[in-house]
Amino acid sequence: MDSHPGKRRKLDHARDGAEVTLESGLSTGISRSRAFVLEAEELLASVRLDYGISFEGADNLLHQIKGIVEAIKSHEPLPLLEAASKLEKKHKIRVPFPEPRPQESCNYKVAFATPAQFNVVGSYVSKTMVKTQKSRAVDMVIVLPEGILQEKDYLDLRYFYKRAYYLAVVASAVRKELGSDARLSYERLNGNPLCPVLAIQPNTSQQQEAGSSGDRGDLDYRVRIIPCAPDGFFPKSKLSLGASLVRKGREGHSDASARPTPFYNSTLVAESCFLPYLKVLRQAEKKCAAFKAACILGRIWLQQRGFGGDIAQGGFGHFEWAVLLALLLQGGESKGHAALSASLSSTQLFKALVQFLSVTNFAEKPCVFGPGKPELEAHLESGPVLYDSARKLNLAFKMGPWSAALLHQHAKWTRRLLVDSTADHFSPTFILRSDFAPHSFDLIARLSCEWASDEIDADAWGLPWQLGSKVYKILNKALADKEMGERARLIHVTTPASPPWPVTEGSKDPKTLPLEIGVLFDPVNMSRTVDRGPAAGPSAQEKEECAKFRNFWGDKAELRRFERDTIRETLVWTSKTPFDLCEEIMRYILGRHLHIGHLHNEISIYGNKLPAMLSLGPADSALFNVAKKAFDAFERDVRDLDDLPLRVRQIAPICPELRYASVNLPAFLSSKSGPRPLECIISFEASGKWPESVVAIQRTKIAFLLMIGSLLESSKPGEIKTHVGVEAAQFETENLAFLDVVYESGPSFRLRIHSDLEESLLEREVKDKTLEQYLRQRATTQLATFRRLYTNLPLHNQYISTCATRFPALSPTIRLVKHWFNAHKLSCHFTEEFIELAVLHVFLAPYPWDAPSSASTGFMRTLLFLARWDWRSEPLIIDTGGDMPAIDRTSIATRLEAWRKIDPNMNHTVLFVATAQEPSGTAWTTVKGEAKPSKVVATRMTSLAKSASRVIREQGLNLDSRRLFVPSLKEYDVVIHMNSKVLKSTLKTYAAVDPEAEAEGTENAGWAKFKNLDERTGLEPLPLAQHPAELFLEHLTAVYGGALVFFRGSVDDHTIGAIWNPQMQRRSFRINLPTSYKPVAGKKPSKDGGDEGSDDEEDLVNLNKDAILAEIARIGGDLVDRLEVKGAEV
Amino acid sequence: MPSGPATLGDFSVLPVSIPPLPSFPNKDVFHYLYVRRNTPKIPTPNDTRSLFLTNVPADSTEVHLRALFASLVGAGRFESAVFEGERKDARSQSQSPIDAATPASAARLLQAHSKKRKREDEEAERAREEAAARLPSTWTRPLRRSGSTAVVLLADKKSVEQVLKAIAKVHKTRKYPTWGGNLPEGRVPPLGSVWLKAHNRLSYPDKQALQASVDAFSLLYARREQEAAEIAKRLRNEPDEDGFVTVTRGGRAAPASRNEAEEAKRRMLEKEEKKKQELINFYRFQLRERKKAEQAELVKRFDEDRRKLEAMREKKGKFVPEA
Repeated sequence: MDSHPGKRRKLDHARDGAEVTLESGLSTGISRSRAFVLEAEELLASVRLDYGISFEGADNLLHQIKGIVEAIKSHEPLPLLEAASKLEKKHKIRVPFPEPRPQESCNYKVAFATPAQFNVVGSYVSKTMVKTQKSRAVDMVIVLPEGILQEKDYLDLRYFYKRAYYLAVVASAVRKELGSDARLSYERLNGNPLCPVLAIQPNTSQQQEAGSSGDRGDLDYRVRIIPCAPDGFFPKSKLSLGASLVRKGREGHSDASARPTPFYNSTLVAESCFLPYLKVLRQAEKKCAAFKAACILGRIWLQQRGFGGDIAQGGFGHFEWAVLLALLLQGGESKGHAALSASLSSTQLFKALVQFLSVTNFAEKPCVFGPGKPELEAHLESGPVLYDSARKLNLAFKMGPWSAALLHQHAKWTRRLLVDSTADHFSPTFILRSDFAPHSFDLIARLSCEWASDEIDADAWGLPWQLGSKVYKILNKALADKEMGERARLIHVTTPASPPWPVTEGSKDPKTLPLEIGVLFDPVNMSRTVDRGPAAGPSAQEKEECAKFRNFWGDKAELRRFERDTIRETLVWTSKTPFDLCEEIMRYILGRHLHIGHLHNEISIYGNKLPAMLSLGPADSALFNVAKKAFDAFERDVRDLDDLPLRVRQIAPICPELRYASVNLPAFLSSKSGPRPLECIISFEASGKWPESVVAIQRTKIAFLLMIGSLLESSKPGEIKTHVGVEAAQFETENLAFLDVVYESGPSFRLRIHSDLEESLLEREVKDKTLEQYLRQRATTQLATFRRLYTNLPLHNQYISTCATRFPALSPTIRLVKHWFNAHKLSCHFTEEFIELAVLHVFLAPYPWDAPSSASTGFMRTLLFLARWDWRSEPLIIDTGGDMPAIDRTSIATRLEAWRKIDPNMNHTVLFVATAQEPSGTAWTTVKGEAKPSKVVATRMTSLAKSASRVIREQGLNLDSRRLFVPSLKEYDVVIHMNSKVLKSTLKTYAAVDPEAEAEGTENAGWAKFKNLDERTGLEPLPLAQHPAELFLEHLTAVYGGALVFFRGSVDDHTIGAIWNPQMQRRSFRINLPTSYKPVAGKKPSKDGGDEGSDDEEDLVNLNKDAILAEIARIGGDLVDRLEVKGAEV
Repeated sequence: MPSGPATLGDFSVLPVSIPPLPSFPNKDVFHYLYVRRNTPKIPTPNDTRSLFLTNVPADSTEVHLRALFASLVGAGRFESAVFEGERKDARSQSQSPIDAATPASAARLLQAHSKKRKREDEEAERAREEAAARLPSTWTRPLRRSGSTAVVLLADKKSVEQVLKAIAKVHKTRKYPTWGGNLPEGRVPPLGSVWLKAHNRLSYPDKQALQASVDAFSLLYARREQEAAEIAKRLRNEPDEDGFVTVTRGGRAAPASRNEAEEAKRRMLEKEEKKKQELINFYRFQLRERKKAEQAELVKRFDEDRRKLEAMREKKGKFVPEA
């Protein structure tokens, strides 16, 4: 081995490159994808169905049915309608003829003969069904014997009439033989109106099963009998997509003959392709070991996105997935080579197929498998094309252009997720459901179909589908016009599903159910109020374009002159918000082309109720910008001061008003209260002049603030007033003061000084092992406070504002979510920054969707996230820069684990929220060394979010969004009602008026009588150091922290809820009691009835609830109107 | 009516009747004070004439307690009250600015080598300076933590006996004292909205006063700094009792700033780091070790994923697609 040392060294060097890639893989993605593989395997194991149990008796049943069908006597040809009525009379079974029903005049005959072949197909044989499927079906195809068919049957639904009759005969026989053992019903195969099938649900056996094995109860399968045409019976060359095969209209008009009938044709091809596709799938299974598993993964992926083989579910289900995968394994490249290798694993196959779907949009470009290049471009008009040229079938014939677009979009989103090395791949891909329309679409419209004319197209895809397709075409042109800039990223139409119906009746028309239209906004384009159409020029082409434009838009189109003297066709809309714009356009254009909306109940539009809760408007961001501008002016004023001893390095805003995130809009010049200053921090260039003691630094800061104040006042006399306020500091080492700068014109700012020496001194104190423990502890909390205030908050402010411009929906979503926290009286337990980050997370890691483009989707998804977030074991990691290395993520997760080990009861650290700038994870969830929120409150948040999400899902579009914001005061033990009038009066104080004297004065009633005698008139109110309601709550929490947990929403909330801490009940007496206690009656049992035999011990004490409440009443004084005690027990 | 024992351990129970308020009109509400003789761990000369109270109401003031004791044993017995957190040796008390004014570097030196400054006039001087440098309080009236304690100083030893007797008697006569009864007019600042308003007003003290307080502090601080420097200088040359010379920072002129020292250390570390960097991947053994470490890392990660999966499996529902 060692004979060529030189060579070995060379090898080593050559491998260096590979090592580098390995290393980079390590630090980014490899670990993620491996976890994905493991998780997917686990998923496969847990959803795998035990066929022996779930389908007990299925094989017997199949054999039985086969026997029954084989035993049916064949009969000679009878005229179609005569045979049908005979059947109805004799067996009370209706023949499920497809629409249009055969005419009286039809003269061809139907017969019955034993089927040419029986076969079981579908996922029962391939064993790819999963536990979470809604319904499980065993598909049995019976091939009609060639003897009863004629070659020309492919025309004018003749084959389908014969097929329906055949099915009815089978149904009558099966019903006679099985009797009450099974329930029979008709249903449409994949919702295709041409293909009714017979569903047989084993009845009694299920009950027996339920009796014997109790909870299993998943014996819920049905056998579907699907008659089909023999392979190759109809000449496929005549069934091409462009052929027109339904020539007789319903009334016998032949004018429909010119139109091609692609859906009808494809259905007919599909009828004879059951067995060929069974073969294809079988081959794929044999060739590729992981094929089945990949199909199961695909089934789950589609199912979680609401896709299914049914037309109403998009027409792309497990079968299409499996066939597509099989075709790609066979050969998909142009040269006939297989696109995928058979040796790939299931997850690899899954990823490959998702990738395939994300790059091929078969609604825009036909996708052809196999040899030959048929001309298919023309057929895109009627729907997406996914053509299997070996079997000459358009696999996507059940899909509308909208479902192809949605599938494409979902594939794109999933693919983006799978290449995002940092996100969790698994649960958005397979676990989360993303088929709920309000979560996905910004606007949802319901369109009732009742008005639609009965004018049925020659092709057979049914009325709702036809209507949907029309609506889609119009909306697509109106909202997703590329020339004008696409307003909508996605338009989706959901057609109603057709339910099964009993064999004794005719099929019900699903006409009464409404269509659902979902629109996903492009938030930037959607807010455009003026659309610029084609230029009105002299050339023929331009004229033609203008004519087209006018034709489409009607009177709305007008000519306008724009800059550089261009004259264009223009549309001007009157609405302001994206939602209203979309609604206006939809109503206008549908009304124009389909005459929808002239009667008001035909179209109803949903999705705007949530933003209306806060009356979020388009002008909001302008108001935020006003605040921002005022801040800029203030910054300039400070920077312009010449006489400062140090140069200003930075003035940074740190309040939600200056990052587009406050619930209330920033308002200046309020007459109701003293100015509420916007908080900022100022930092100076590094200097050695700061004293080397934290205490002295704090005093120096006061001197500094006084100086800045007087300089500002003298630089703009009359315009600026300044006040130095004293902070509510407990220790001399904390920040002691702030400077409030009030502009005459309204804005006001609060300035705190950042000194970098303070940080290093505190750090030194934390590390100093010779210091006493309590001092070090104190230094640690102070350091955390310092870092939050001076390091984290300015950065936070910066990236929230950046993201607010990047995602237009972010700011309203944050405000809505904060409003929700307020409404449920949670916000006093959460920092605003935490809420902002939670919302931001929904925008930055939006999987399985894209970032929300409206406040309501953002809000609902945030609730969904809060409900799902398992904060006990998962950190919330927000990758603000988008480039956080995996190492950092793992170290954050490790830190959380370490915290949980140190503090398993979660007394100090509960929520763990880390960002790239703030990897410690506790800056926003720990305040002054205490968890904010505590575990109890965090649990409450999760349960509230859960129930809100449940309500949203259950109510769907009928949701009354006010319900989400109604707090239930019943849950609180005590509710403190505050007097709003008194509270309002506390908002204004004056430097010259002593409040005590004032209070006495009002009693004398001589004060407010004459406005001109009131010495307060003309005085400037002092700024609010802190909101009085907030102060009151803070004091209550400090005094009763152990005994009561208080809940309060925003500062304008006039009720405070409180809950007794259950751990504070009866205990033995000691000196340092956590709160007010009363002695337990020694001789007789106590009032609360808690006589546990410990009454003899004299030193037991009980919580003195009444005394505590009386104390609160005394502290609150005139501020408290009423204390409401639950149950009103004394 | 209050029920329960008259004593709990060595504490006498003093029920106090709470008058109803419009916002909480419950009658028959009693607060219980627990009273005993004051026996602190470190005895003081006043112990014999003081009482230890626990579970004082949150809105207690000295005036309240004075009125309470007056109703028990008549006026003239009550001298003062010290509440929890106000006692001089309590740690939770805010640091006195005069101690805090000592520069950090000097604090330890002073501690180790301070002269015994216990003279009366110095104490008084200190108190005066302290008051000058202290920032004004922003509250007209503090709240007590619920269930906290207080020490009440009475006129003499006899008063203590009388109070305890009176408390015992209260249980028999059932004439309970009332909280906030016969308070002198205007001596207790009101709570409620006025209290909050007053706080807002006090939060913005007069600028001159603030400036004066800051000036007083800086004067003090400068003096302390100088003292410390002198001590340090002195110590450098003087052996202590055991004959050792204390090593202090800095050259001959002045002790070095700690910041500079840290800066120098950082530079040195940087230099070392740079030197190390240059030698990475220089030897073959380094490459080999790196590769080994990477492999170990891979194995570790795999194990981690495994463990995570285990954990997920334990929590049911993680692998079942949502219905």
